[in-house]
Amino acid sequence: MVRAPSEHSEASRPGTHLQFLAAIVVSASEDAIVGKTIDGLITSWNPGAERIFGYTEQEIIGQPTTVLCPPDLALEFTEILGRIRQGESVTQDETMRQHKDGTTFPASVTVSPIRSEDGTLIGTSSITRDITEQRKRADRLVEANRNLLEANKNLEAFTYSVSHDLRAPLRALSGFSEALLEDYGDVLDEQGQEYARRIRAASEQMATLIDDLLHLSRVARAELRLRSVDLGAEAARIAGELQNHDPDRNVNFVIQRPVRAHADRTLIRTVLENLLGNAWKFTSGRDEASIEFGTRPAGDAAICCYVRDNGAGFDPQYVDKLFTPFQRLHTVREFPGTGVGLASVRQIVERHGGRAWAEGSVSEGATFYFTLDAKEPQ
Amino acid sequence: MTSRPILLVEDNLDDVSLTLRALRKNHILNDVTVAHDGAEALEHLFNEDNAGRIPYGLVLLDLKLPKVDGMEVLHRIRADERTQITPVVILTSSRLEEDIVAGYSGGANAFVRKPVNFTEFTEAISTLGMFWLLVNEAIPERG
Repeated sequence: MVRAPSEHSEASRPGTHLQFLAAIVVSASEDAIVGKTIDGLITSWNPGAERIFGYTEQEIIGQPTTVLCPPDLALEFTEILGRIRQGESVTQDETMRQHKDGTTFPASVTVSPIRSEDGTLIGTSSITRDITEQRKRADRLVEANRNLLEANKNLEAFTYSVSHDLRAPLRALSGFSEALLEDYGDVLDEQGQEYARRIRAASEQMATLIDDLLHLSRVARAELRLRSVDLGAEAARIAGELQNHDPDRNVNFVIQRPVRAHADRTLIRTVLENLLGNAWKFTSGRDEASIEFGTRPAGDAAICCYVRDNGAGFDPQYVDKLFTPFQRLHTVREFPGTGVGLASVRQIVERHGGRAWAEGSVSEGATFYFTLDAKEPQ
Repeated sequence: MTSRPILLVEDNLDDVSLTLRALRKNHILNDVTVAHDGAEALEHLFNEDNAGRIPYGLVLLDLKLPKVDGMEVLHRIRADERTQITPVVILTSSRLEEDIVAGYSGGANAFVRKPVNFTEFTEAISTLGMFWLLVNEAIPERG
């Protein structure tokens, strides 16, 4: 159904193409588009208005617009009319309107003045949109956000509980098996002592796992404090610490400096500690061990770094498992570790808008790459 | 016994047992009073019998305690002029906890990870200058 607005005398003449199009737009609109006299009497009513408010055109034409408004908002109407007379358009993103059946609903409303060709104010037009669904979606978002905050708080409590309560029985296992060995070692035979040692070793391993897991969860939640960091200087410092810790090993470090990046210093240091620490660990069987830190063309990212070693390497078939928590490609007897280090690396790099990947083959060494592309939070 | 007793504040009985054993193994033969929660610790520290002075030479303090928690006990110890300078060693159960507490703790003299680690404990008490006060290498008097 397409009808030109009835109250404009020009519209009753054979309409121009433009007027015809305008009439189609009004008629097809999902929103209520309502024309009013300057005194607020309704003069036009589109199908959208009928759908939203429930009145037919016959019922509403000539009625005051206040019937569309909950009684307690009548004052608001008078105020809007005042502003329209000053020549302003008035937009209310969120107000209330009233349906024919008396129920109210949230709505967004824009009211604009209508002027004749010589510029005199002859009425107002309003566009009203029922925002009930929008409001429900917004409420659901607020609710979801509240649930997330709650979940995060529970996670904090859980983390503390893990660090404290789970460790208590482990301390007893480890402590009393040690006491058994020290105080009653002479009455235990070799096998008995071995059993006690195994209990102690297993409980200590589990304590390390818990610590690493907690560390991983902290890495995921820690606030990013971005600033300019020289990754080369950090790498050199870590290399020095590794060397000091194990002065008997002869490892040739080649470290590019400076390597400036925008990053969180503490977290990016964890990345370098893990990658260089791994390189150190997996070159332990090499007489001429060599570990290299440098950069290469970054593509889309701000920077691409790599850590390369000539150590034990890995079977490229399992490359996808490398960055998964608690996945290890070597037995603890070959190389100690819990399998959390590279998971932390990936977690931190991704939080810096980058990615981490590896190349390598068995006995041929490994290269770990990571890109960084951290943006300041808005 | 010349040196003053130690107050051990710990609710986990396994940890109490392991700590007492660690002290014994460290040749620390001072009397040890055990408080099983924070309220009991405060009672031992500030009861009326101690009006003039506090009898404890060292407090070993767990953090997660029933009733009154360890940080609150520490604050009360530091707030009272009788115990302002009493050495307090915090017993922590993880590196995480140590980090958290070190971040905002005023007043703890040292941290020792549980079960009371011989090396850490020895380092802690030598840092506190209490080595000769506590460690008694002489054969203990019995009876």
